[in-house]
Amino acid sequence: MSAPAVSLYLDPQIRDWVLFPITLVMILVGILRHYVVLLLQSAPKKLSRVAIREHRALTRSQILRATAASSPVPPPLYKSISGYLMEAFDSGAYLKDGPPKDDTPQAPPNPMSDPAAMDGMMAGMKTQMVMMVPQMLIMGWINFFFQGFVLIKLPFPLTLGFKSMLQRGIETPDMDVRWVSSLSWYFLNFFGLNGLYRLILGNDNAADSSQAMMASPFAGAGVTPGQPQDFNKLFKAEKDNLAFAEGLYTWVGDDVEERLLRKYGKLPKI
Amino acid sequence: MSSTQTLSAALKTLANYRAHSTRASQDVLAKGSAILRDGRPEAKLGDDAWAFLEQVFLAAIDVGNIEIADECLHKLSDKFPGSTRVDVLAGIRIEASESPEIALKFYDDILKDDSANAAVWKRRISILRRTGKIEKAVEELKEYLDTFYNDLEAWVELADIYSSCYQYSSALSSLSHTLLLAPQNPFYTLQFAETAYTANDIPLAFKMFSVCIEIAERDLEPGEVVRSKGKGKALAEDIDLDENAGEGISTRAWFGLKLCTRILLSTSSSSPSQTPIPKRKTIELVDELATERVLAVYSSNDGKGKENVRAWLGRS
Repeated sequence: MSAPAVSLYLDPQIRDWVLFPITLVMILVGILRHYVVLLLQSAPKKLSRVAIREHRALTRSQILRATAASSPVPPPLYKSISGYLMEAFDSGAYLKDGPPKDDTPQAPPNPMSDPAAMDGMMAGMKTQMVMMVPQMLIMGWINFFFQGFVLIKLPFPLTLGFKSMLQRGIETPDMDVRWVSSLSWYFLNFFGLNGLYRLILGNDNAADSSQAMMASPFAGAGVTPGQPQDFNKLFKAEKDNLAFAEGLYTWVGDDVEERLLRKYGKLPKI
Repeated sequence: MSSTQTLSAALKTLANYRAHSTRASQDVLAKGSAILRDGRPEAKLGDDAWAFLEQVFLAAIDVGNIEIADECLHKLSDKFPGSTRVDVLAGIRIEASESPEIALKFYDDILKDDSANAAVWKRRISILRRTGKIEKAVEELKEYLDTFYNDLEAWVELADIYSSCYQYSSALSSLSHTLLLAPQNPFYTLQFAETAYTANDIPLAFKMFSVCIEIAERDLEPGEVVRSKGKGKALAEDIDLDENAGEGISTRAWFGLKLCTRILLSTSSSSPSQTPIPKRKTIELVDELATERVLAVYSSNDGKGKENVRAWLGRS
């Protein structure tokens, strides 16, 4: 470390023909990927009335329960809303396909058999492919042509722990950690270009592949509304919640006149 | 120089109207048509141009200037073919000049493809109501609300339809949904209270007027309403709109409370909703308080009607 002179001299050609091209190619591929993903995205599927009704039925009871502890609604009206919802959930009136015909326990819906769910999963797979394939190609390209290249020297000293991060592909125990190998430069770009993409393409771009790596194509399908959920089961559970909420229920109008009188000093404060 | 300045000022006003959904159609149309005449707004305004065109379109329909409306609509439908939002605008344009049947047919065609298009569905319901098919409108509106429960304004509309047919108990039950959806909004509580009063459910109205006052004066110390008025104009302008609105609404609710206590004290009224009637002593105290509050509002300003109010309250 104390050697006064630079122990390694890099050909400027390496800078011009390896360092810059790798960076440029990665930026361009990212931008290209952004537009390909935009092309691949299909418009969200239109849901039918009954499907929306099924999806939103739960929010009704959630809204009712949210204020149950000091509800703005007088008791008879609360009871009627709550009773109506409980009965509807029990009989399955909000289910898309109408109330279940018989009492046989249904198997949970298989995502492979539902075409709507398959669509969502295929879309996830497609974008995933657009993410993965170019990265694999670039990595192959770098490995094939520039394996073992030292591309750049960082302008600041680093500890030895960074050696495996910055000098991937070069097996030298003695080289200064500040030298960066071609493969490591690729990884640095891979994780570091997101800020640049955000500058070029706006905030929610599809160019950053490191984000996409985290998500699996199947996990993506899980949160989309296209995923079949067993609403019958959810409704049955919600019915119990409604019964609990009814136990908690108090009307905000109980004793409200006394609170007012206390506020204005007509009754002694507690 | 000055023309660009007026242009940017006009655009700023229009954007402000959009943000607050102010319905100042004359002004919007005057400013908007000037900008339209100046040249291509879509080139100058960028992405704002489309919202601007929609705004001018609606204002033009409002005022009845079909020509400008058509111009805006053409630009929009050229830019967004097949957009449902533009479809709604096209429907409004049809409503403006064609018979309701044609508009209904137009909306039906859209709904056939996309049965869950909420905006189109609502326009359809509005036509039904406008053409007097109240029963059908109520039916559709109920189905709409069963699907899109969160639509607060639709619940208010349903309550309004019921009230217009004297179906006050049904109006109350649809207003109860607005209370659930916006529990902190005193205006809906006030509407509920007044509907209950109209339905002759005085104990319920009494309670709801009290709740309304409690919500509207939540952040105020007792009597602060009056004081802020006394401090003069400069302060009143500093106070934001909501607080001023709160003053008006609580005055109205105090009036309502006074009406309720008067009835509760003079006659024995029953409550269809089985709302418990407070003790006579409590009602008397509330009556006293309501009289005081109403008087306080009318003593601090020398507005009209002061004498009438005092006479009505029995305190001349």
